[in-house]
Amino acid sequence: MNRATLRLLLLLALVASLALAACGDDDDDDGGGGSSGGQETEQASSDMPGEGKPPVTLGTKDFTEEFVLGELYKQALEAKGYTVNLKKNIGATEIIDKALTSGEIDGYPEYLGVSVAVVARKDIVPKSDEETYELAQTFYEDRGQMISEQTPFFDVDAIATTKEFADQNGLETVADLKKLDSFTVGARPEFRNRFQGLKGMRSEYGLTNAQFKQLALGIQYQALDNGDVDSANVFSTDAQLASGKYTVLEDPKGVFGYQHVAMVMDQKKNDALGPEFFATIDEVSKLLTNDAMISMNKAVALDKQPEAEVAKKFLEANNLL
Amino acid sequence: MQTFTDAIQFLGDNLQLIWDKTVEHLLLSGAAIGVAILIAIPVGVWLGHLHRGSFLAINVSNVGRALPSLAVISIGLGVLGVGFLNVMVALVILAAPVMLTNAYVAVEQVDKDAVQAARAMGMQPRQVLLNVELPLALPLMFAGIRTAAVYVVATATLAALAGGGGLGDIIVNQPTYGPEGVVAGSIAIAVLAFATEGAFALLQRAVTPRGLRKRGEQVLLEPTITPVTNP
Amino acid sequence: MTALLAQQGPVIPEFERGSDCVRENGQFCFDWFVDNFGDVFAPRLVEHIELTAIAVAIGFAISFAAALTAYAYGKLETPFAIFMAFLYTIPSLAFFQLMVPITGLTVTSAEIALVSYTLLILFRNIITGLREVPEDAREAARAMGLTQWQLLWRVELPLALPAIMAGIRIATVTIISLATVAAYIGVGGLGQPIFNAIQSGFKTQFVAAGLLAVLLALVVDGLLVLVQRGLAPWMRATRA
Repeated sequence: MNRATLRLLLLLALVASLALAACGDDDDDDGGGGSSGGQETEQASSDMPGEGKPPVTLGTKDFTEEFVLGELYKQALEAKGYTVNLKKNIGATEIIDKALTSGEIDGYPEYLGVSVAVVARKDIVPKSDEETYELAQTFYEDRGQMISEQTPFFDVDAIATTKEFADQNGLETVADLKKLDSFTVGARPEFRNRFQGLKGMRSEYGLTNAQFKQLALGIQYQALDNGDVDSANVFSTDAQLASGKYTVLEDPKGVFGYQHVAMVMDQKKNDALGPEFFATIDEVSKLLTNDAMISMNKAVALDKQPEAEVAKKFLEANNLL
Repeated sequence: MQTFTDAIQFLGDNLQLIWDKTVEHLLLSGAAIGVAILIAIPVGVWLGHLHRGSFLAINVSNVGRALPSLAVISIGLGVLGVGFLNVMVALVILAAPVMLTNAYVAVEQVDKDAVQAARAMGMQPRQVLLNVELPLALPLMFAGIRTAAVYVVATATLAALAGGGGLGDIIVNQPTYGPEGVVAGSIAIAVLAFATEGAFALLQRAVTPRGLRKRGEQVLLEPTITPVTNP
Repeated sequence: MTALLAQQGPVIPEFERGSDCVRENGQFCFDWFVDNFGDVFAPRLVEHIELTAIAVAIGFAISFAAALTAYAYGKLETPFAIFMAFLYTIPSLAFFQLMVPITGLTVTSAEIALVSYTLLILFRNIITGLREVPEDAREAARAMGLTQWQLLWRVELPLALPAIMAGIRIATVTIISLATVAAYIGVGGLGQPIFNAIQSGFKTQFVAAGLLAVLLALVVDGLLVLVQRGLAPWMRATRA
């Protein structure tokens, strides 16, 4: 055969071998970006309840605090011999809940107020964190899931403005926003339709003067600084709030709910993993106070430390690793 | 399947939303196209008229076409921050190269005889440019603007990730609008892109001097791919 | 349920402080970039290359088969082209999301979308390349007694090589761009640090991830131009 044909065949062979090699790799891929920093988890400890248990897949939502929580639980579990596959950054509540119910993940850390309002879709305002817990627990159990103990810390949706804007307009609570002719509230997409979001603001506080500006989650502080929005939806444990540049408006009606975190797990998987699974989770959870979470959020969000490192340091300091 | 019919339903139920987002989308795209034209066309025409800088002018579109759009937006987010301006600048960077190259080639390759004849008639260089080169170059130039315009409209979908608004806002908001919303948004963008293509095709025909119309449409530089809705 | 064990609270360790550049979110913190390149960027770069390579390889295999088939049975060309154009029309953000209910949050979902985006470009280029083979060459070959099959493999395809290579080049660069969006469903690649940066507002990460993707695209484009010229030296490198 002539040279041209030879070249052509070589090209095809190259492409074909790439395809074959790739098909081989394809099967190993399981949750992009899963393992963090390759830490050694084999310990010379005799207490390894996780050994012999099936591997478990946990997911996290799409913001800093969840990334940290995911790493905390993952590393603590791995220290006890469990095999954990962490799928990070899955998306908002609606998306990650679907991943749970469809079996793509076995569990994820959820804010219980969100469980009630968004997942269970109850447009009610629970009066206490106990009530929130019970509502969530009942709802999940009916669906075949169960929840762990809730964390001491809570992280609620909140509305924040720059300090100047709040001072200029005399804003202290969300209700005060009614004073303005109109104002923009910048928030992540799902905020628009949620009761613990724009809907609730309109119905409970009468804020029909609110104009929604959609922002990708994370951009809200930049938008506030630039003056692109008058107010923005933030999370109460965001590291940026510690800077003093922003005023968080109070929520006297509790529209944004009680938001302690608990691990939501598929019931059957949890049974297969044994009681030590939740016991390990609870051991971590009870350490998570507001101060602890805020300092970890700060380390990741402001000092740009990798969340795996931050989680590791925290667990080591508290003898869980 | 089911989601598709739901999407049509969604379009019907949410006309105001779709309209608002389409307007946002067109404003952003239009601004970017406009600015790109203002920058790229004069430069391309000038270089072509002078028959200078061919290496640069031809290769700039290759570079431009290779730029990953989300990456350019990302750099913009780092340098310019959030919002309309940042995304517009990114879109200009993505649109200008093709326009420049086409403008350059269009003017540069104008029939030398026509130019010589014009000079022989005593026209000044500027008159040659305005009365001879430009009219003859318009079709190919417009082809470049058209390609770039469709590309911008498609890529503006990503603006939603950078606070730029537009129809992308619906697509990234599956939590609120459901998968039917995602499909509906996609349909809207596809329709918008095709409409842009069509509008510019008509414009191109309108500016083609009658004498050239028989030759049919001029071809673009690359094997013709019409990138419709994807960056 | 909210009962906490009455203890003095957790030990909160001192975390490493970021440099001043990082804390103030400076334009580009070179020190941070260098420190974190290996963890944050390098694996994503590798993932990105993998995602692209798989998509182009599989896409080429499918397009090649489709193009040969359509070349032989002309009536099939239009339906194929229409279907592939339809796939190309779906906005990337949508395509990736819509795959998730079907094939999950996996690389498979991303690859189905990415492969779909290669088809139109490759199919059109392969077929156009074949069609544009000069009739003289074909007649000469037939005169020499070559069979249909030999004609294809020894004459038509080699002469179509420049067009095919151009198609591979355009497809690859297009996929490099689209693969950044794939991170939306969590499969990694250079889009991942971009999406994370959207979360944190960290300017250095925006710029670094963006620049890396741009560099990758330009380098690959350049390399493929060289391959294109190398494979068909008898054709003057026209059309850049």
